[in-house]
Amino acid sequence: MGSAVRLGGVLLVVWGAATAGFIALRLIPGDPVDVMLGVHARVGEEVRAQIREDWGLDEPPLVQYLSYLGRLLQGDLGQSYQLRSSVTDVIGGQALPTVQLTSLALLFALVLALAAALLARGPLAQRIVSLVELLVISSPTFWIGLVLLAVFSFQLGWFPVTASEGFASLVLPALTLALPVAGIISQVLRQGLDDAEAQQFATTARARGVSRAGLVLRHSFRHAGADSLTLTGYLVGSLLGGAVLVETVFARQGLGGVAIRAIIGRDIPVVLGIIVVAAIVFALINLIVDLTYRVLDPRLRVLDPRLRVVAHEVAA
Amino acid sequence: MSKEIDAGVVAARPSSGRRVPPAGVLAAALMLALLVLAALFPWLVTAASPLQTDATAALQGPSAAHPFGTDQSGRDVFARVIYGARYSLAVGLGATALALGAGLIIGITAGLAPRFLDGALSRTIDVLMAFPEFLLALVVIAVIGTGEVSIVFAVALAAIPAYARVARIQTMVVSRAGYVRAARSLGVHPFAVVARHIIPNTLGPLRVMATIGVGTAIVSAAGLSFLGLGPQPPTPEWGVILSEGRNFLATAWWIAVFPGLAITAAVVALSTLGRYLRLRSAGRES
Amino acid sequence: MNLHPFAPKKLAALVAAAAFVLTLGACAAEPTATEPATGEPATAERTITFAIEGANLSAGHMDIHSSQLDVASLVLRNSFDSLVSQDATGAFVPWLAKSWTISEDGLRYTFQLREDVTFHDGEPFNAEAVKVNFDHVVDPKTASAQAASLIGYAEGGGYYIDTEVVGEFEVAVNFSQPYAPFLQGVSLPQLGFYSPLVLEDHADDLKAGGPGITVGTGPFILSEYTPDQELVFTANPDYAWPPQGSAHQGAAASDTLVIRILPEAASRVGAITSGGADVAADFTPNMAAQLGDDVTVNSIEMPGLPYSLYLNEDRGVFSDPLVREAFSIGVDAQSAIDSIYLGQFTRAWSILGPTTPNSYDSSLEATWPFNPDKANALLDEAGWTERDAEGYRLKDGARLSARWIAWTPVPDDRASLADFLQSDLKNLGFELVRDVLEPAQYNEAYGPRDFDVTDWAFSSPDADVLRSHLQTGGFQTVSPVTKPEVDAWLDDAVATSDPAVRAELYGNIQQWNAREVLIVPLFVPSEITVARDGVTGLTFDLYGRASFYGATVTD
Repeated sequence: MGSAVRLGGVLLVVWGAATAGFIALRLIPGDPVDVMLGVHARVGEEVRAQIREDWGLDEPPLVQYLSYLGRLLQGDLGQSYQLRSSVTDVIGGQALPTVQLTSLALLFALVLALAAALLARGPLAQRIVSLVELLVISSPTFWIGLVLLAVFSFQLGWFPVTASEGFASLVLPALTLALPVAGIISQVLRQGLDDAEAQQFATTARARGVSRAGLVLRHSFRHAGADSLTLTGYLVGSLLGGAVLVETVFARQGLGGVAIRAIIGRDIPVVLGIIVVAAIVFALINLIVDLTYRVLDPRLRVLDPRLRVVAHEVAA
Repeated sequence: MSKEIDAGVVAARPSSGRRVPPAGVLAAALMLALLVLAALFPWLVTAASPLQTDATAALQGPSAAHPFGTDQSGRDVFARVIYGARYSLAVGLGATALALGAGLIIGITAGLAPRFLDGALSRTIDVLMAFPEFLLALVVIAVIGTGEVSIVFAVALAAIPAYARVARIQTMVVSRAGYVRAARSLGVHPFAVVARHIIPNTLGPLRVMATIGVGTAIVSAAGLSFLGLGPQPPTPEWGVILSEGRNFLATAWWIAVFPGLAITAAVVALSTLGRYLRLRSAGRES
Repeated sequence: MNLHPFAPKKLAALVAAAAFVLTLGACAAEPTATEPATGEPATAERTITFAIEGANLSAGHMDIHSSQLDVASLVLRNSFDSLVSQDATGAFVPWLAKSWTISEDGLRYTFQLREDVTFHDGEPFNAEAVKVNFDHVVDPKTASAQAASLIGYAEGGGYYIDTEVVGEFEVAVNFSQPYAPFLQGVSLPQLGFYSPLVLEDHADDLKAGGPGITVGTGPFILSEYTPDQELVFTANPDYAWPPQGSAHQGAAASDTLVIRILPEAASRVGAITSGGADVAADFTPNMAAQLGDDVTVNSIEMPGLPYSLYLNEDRGVFSDPLVREAFSIGVDAQSAIDSIYLGQFTRAWSILGPTTPNSYDSSLEATWPFNPDKANALLDEAGWTERDAEGYRLKDGARLSARWIAWTPVPDDRASLADFLQSDLKNLGFELVRDVLEPAQYNEAYGPRDFDVTDWAFSSPDADVLRSHLQTGGFQTVSPVTKPEVDAWLDDAVATSDPAVRAELYGNIQQWNAREVLIVPLFVPSEITVARDGVTGLTFDLYGRASFYGATVTD
């Protein structure tokens, strides 16, 4: 029953994303026909009408929406107006570089965070690591990338400037993407490792009359949100969102470029396709993590999601 | 046994009344003051113009005349960074204020609402949080178009779910508290309860979130500008300067480095201040 | 009591998910080959790699019959041949047409075609194929801009009447009045030939292009196309019909031509220095300066319209000729251009570039230099005497402001130039707002002429290019105002092939623009192509575009 609810949750998220995206993009002013005809094109009205008919742009919105949903269920993400190929081809064709980038970034992030958490044990080292964490989380990802590019590619020449020299081209972008994520993971790890001392604090604080609400307050800011699910969300979000910027900085192929070109160029089917794919990816990863997690911790198999969330907070 | 890990785990010694804030926090406050000054009165900080080109002085490195060097059109980078402060701070504050306000309303409504409405709102919040914040902002831009104002809305919309979530939980916790129950049973009007008890108790944590949130908003806005979705050149907005500087990394690294430093400095200052506020507000509880 | 009962476990779960994803990524990464190094000695296959900017190619510009972008010509010349070719001296030599005659009155061109030419899909090239292609160019559904103009066609007017099949390998083109630039047009890729089968079955897919669709008779066959990434061409083994006088004969010298799309200037520079590309185009002098000694830099000044600003006299502040003149002399274009292009590009004083044959009016040089005092005086005379709080001029409460629309991507050098222009104008109290728009939004603003300024350069080896920019209804004419004087000059200029007469007529037009200031020329671009040492057989056309027919890499 729990798994069915969870799977339903995934589908709900994807459906919600697809619908929200569809509605949002329907609001865009402007004529897709202009897009297809290109710069400086002058054509008569019948040609425009023909294009509209070919692409089904004349149907009422509800019909368009339902047929869109229908196609989605069959795995058909539609056709791109501008690129004249199926959205699945467009996204599939450029997905690999992004997957490679985010995978390697995650690996780097874990390694860096583990190193920071395990090796920095003295108070001075802790301070330094804290400071580095702060800097890394505060700096814009794309700026870090620019600096790394300037120093290690242009000045020192250790890494190639272009994006197509195989693994060597992947190192700097993955490192750039990894750093903020490493900062967050490192914070969580180090906090986890200091649980014992934190416990003592909690007992002491409570003894001094800090209210339960106060403890909840403190607890609810951690991880930029109240729910532990948000940690995963935050990480995946950082990686996916950061990938867009990193790919631009390092001039790499990938979904980032596809997304930006589609958004700015108003290639609506591609934008919708990316929204749906992003929702699926996020929901699936959350599902996997959550299932694994529930296996590990039977305490939290509580049926009422509302109470579960609050239970997290007051589990202290 | 004092640690400052994410400032969430606080120092074990009791916070006893007014203390001089630590040096880091003072430095942060100073940096923010400088940024606000640069935003409001940039001409007091630098005499150079951010828009005046000079073909003879293009791509020169940092020097006495140009502390941050000049860019490809001969403009003074230091002046551009100083004049750029107002865009970033305005977007950061504006977007955060919007997100805070909207998040508060949505969160309190969800926290107090009957089960089904709360469920619907929570699900919506979940769906929105399913998106990487940055991608959400990009989609908003896709709908409303590019430009400075669009960026404010995009960043705000992307940040609302986080504030709404915290507001909701806070509301739920506070509304179950004894004194609130007492007030309700005494017949105090729900709106009064909200105004007098719920909002003040929710604002505390949200205020801290917002301080750090301004920093995040600045970074998101700079990222969107960097991608070309914000103000157009020659506006000296930090993200715009960074995207111009990207093309000159080989020959003029200073164009890209300094605006980024400014962004980092702003965010670090805001984070430090935010964590300090969190400590202070936590300490006040005792 | 654990405050974080789940964080480490959460991470463990996340690590598990991550490991899963990483394995996926790693597995997928293995079989993916990185770009093959060119000129690998062990294999028999010779590959040559060409890096270009390539922007907007994927946005519907893979069809030579409809696109007017230079990049389409550059890329598709490899697959599409023309009836005639223009050699280095400017003379026309046989290509797919082995000979041709022009009737006495200049109204009919008859071409005798080669009989041994086939399309990549096996279809024979004949008079019927020529007719089907030219019909496609003038078909309204094709929405052709440049190709239709080159053939002299215009809806409800123009010079082109139709194409007639005379014999199996003989075809005639008929005109309503003599149209001298026709041979010029017919030498360009825009009037190249698709296989008739493709035109029949895939007419709607031409703009998107791809293998099996972008099918011509050329020395290279498009075998793979990844939009915004690369195009892979393989040599046409049957190719035996290069233009007369071609140094190379038979199939192309390289087996494979890979065209890589690298919109970033730094990427193209990096590709050349690292060997990721053998030849690269779309260079600026700035980029070329970053290269070492092991490359050859070919810089060819572009004939046609230099990079200029086009003013919309129909609306706003530019309806006043005084303001237009003030605008043109109020910017120090010379210093800006010298700075940005390292002194290698020349200032343009006329709406035609100096290398445009038989038409450039050199008497216009340096006749309207930077003169801020005069510009200020003109603006005062035009009534813009008050100033607002920011220093911009006001008249009747309205600010002196112009809107400039440009379409993405904007090369860095053009962006820099815009900065200089905006700054100089601001010193005059003139606000120049620049909106950089994606092509779709640009179209939306351009159609109803909702702008004051726009910009481009337009290459053409014939001054007839002015017709598409100044004639009423020309496909790139910015001003909607009809100018009968100019229309008459343009019509007369195409009616005669006498170079002296044409030069005089085009001279009139250039002088006219210098008075009216409808177009503000800025600089004459050069097409800069760089090639690594070891590349041999690379040739260039009159525009400076590289031709790879005889090109190969020797290590």
